Amino acid sequence: MNRSTWITNLITALSVLILLGIWQIGAVLLDAGVILPTPGTTFSALARVVQQKPFSLNIFATVSRALQSFLIIFLVGGLLGILSGYSRSLHAFLVPLLVICKATPVMSVILLAFIWFSSGTVPLFSAFLMGFPVMFIQVEQGVKLISPRLHEMTVAYGFTPLRRLIHLVIPSLTPSIITGAKASLSMVWKVVIAAEVLTVPRYGVGSRMQMAQVNLETAEVLAWTLIAILLTALGDLIFLSLLELPRKLRARRSEFLEAVR
Amino acid sequence: MILKNLSKGYHVSSEYLSVLDDFSLSVEPGTITALVGPSGCGKTTLLRLVGELEQPDGGVLEKTAEEQGPLSYLFQEPRLLPWHSVLHNVELVMRPWYPDKVERIARARDFLTMVGLSDFTTFKPDQLSGGMRQRVAIARAFAYPGHMLLLDEPFQSLDTNLRWSLVNAFLKLWNAEKRTTIYVTHDVPEALLMADTVIRLSSRPMRILENHTIGTPREERSLGSPEFLALQARFYT
Repeated sequence: MNRSTWITNLITALSVLILLGIWQIGAVLLDAGVILPTPGTTFSALARVVQQKPFSLNIFATVSRALQSFLIIFLVGGLLGILSGYSRSLHAFLVPLLVICKATPVMSVILLAFIWFSSGTVPLFSAFLMGFPVMFIQVEQGVKLISPRLHEMTVAYGFTPLRRLIHLVIPSLTPSIITGAKASLSMVWKVVIAAEVLTVPRYGVGSRMQMAQVNLETAEVLAWTLIAILLTALGDLIFLSLLELPRKLRARRSEFLEAVR
Repeated sequence: MILKNLSKGYHVSSEYLSVLDDFSLSVEPGTITALVGPSGCGKTTLLRLVGELEQPDGGVLEKTAEEQGPLSYLFQEPRLLPWHSVLHNVELVMRPWYPDKVERIARARDFLTMVGLSDFTTFKPDQLSGGMRQRVAIARAFAYPGHMLLLDEPFQSLDTNLRWSLVNAFLKLWNAEKRTTIYVTHDVPEALLMADTVIRLSSRPMRILENHTIGTPREERSLGSPEFLALQARFYT
């Protein structure tokens, strides 16, 4: 670790300490656990929550909902984004849907979905409607940025559509795909938990949050919130390390080839 | 190849712009034909019609049996895929013709060696200089079994020394396998040194002002000789 990253890390740690301090002071001044419990109470609530019996089941339900909707968004948004980047008619056809998706408040989507579907499906459906436009628009914009000169080169040199897709379209779109995937992933977590709060499926982080709120267990609401934050951060971390993976594998391979030589 | 009464125009915001009107030209197979003319006269359009990147509005384009089929293009810019290595860029266009990977890569390496890039096959295009990138494009054009070579001012963006070394690299490869070549440029000396036939064109609508076949063998040509000084004087007017 070099000096400057050491200093930035120190500043980040300091910032976290100050936030915790303000929380502690506020809680002591208010002196009302129902309104704002102290960090200590919250962390012991967290420890209790983690030991509760279906804890992993709750986490698993939320994570699997988030991952499923993310996967659907990634595939559908990516594919339709590429097609609509090339086809003006498809773009024109999808514009109304996108405008509606982007303008409808998350809560309306969730409430309407709850009228139509079972409580387990609502988070999936809502997360898809909210996350899809993000991925789609990124990829569609990316298609417009593909170099027309390189495209013409692939035409002149007789590339088949498949070869063009693999060697020109997808590499050109990679930055847009990554940006879109990252933005829609962080959106998916929030929408899934919000939908769980409103529809209270049997298992889920949002369901537990809602139950704790109804029982005025504020410390527990905060504990589940901390879990949600950790899940999002962990998701981002895994996503980033997956992005690093191909580069690391390449480095490993060239090291291996060097050693063999 | 024979071009008969070709016409081509574009609609530029409500106005019709005629670039080629009743243009005819015959090109000797297996030679280099240079088209010299003012910029914007329609040389590139003509090249794109020959390369079938665009269709003419009227007229016919007759190619000999050897000239039909795939074409190798050299653009003003190298147009390499930035995420692929030099070798991969060359090897990729050869795939339909050389299904055997070992043979294909060996051939791609041969072409890269001939343009002096044997030590740079694993480099990415953005790790190379502009001249080296254009060398890769030359290797790619020859590695691709195009039945004709179409050159659209490929040496224009480079400084004089580099340009001559690229012209030489090009001629070395061309001499090994003489494909019909159409070469668009506005650089008269370059055209006089490279081409078998130099055609001087007017501005829009494009007409042939002069069609000059150079008898002197390429290796005996010198821009300082009386013949070439006279030619340069004629072509510059």
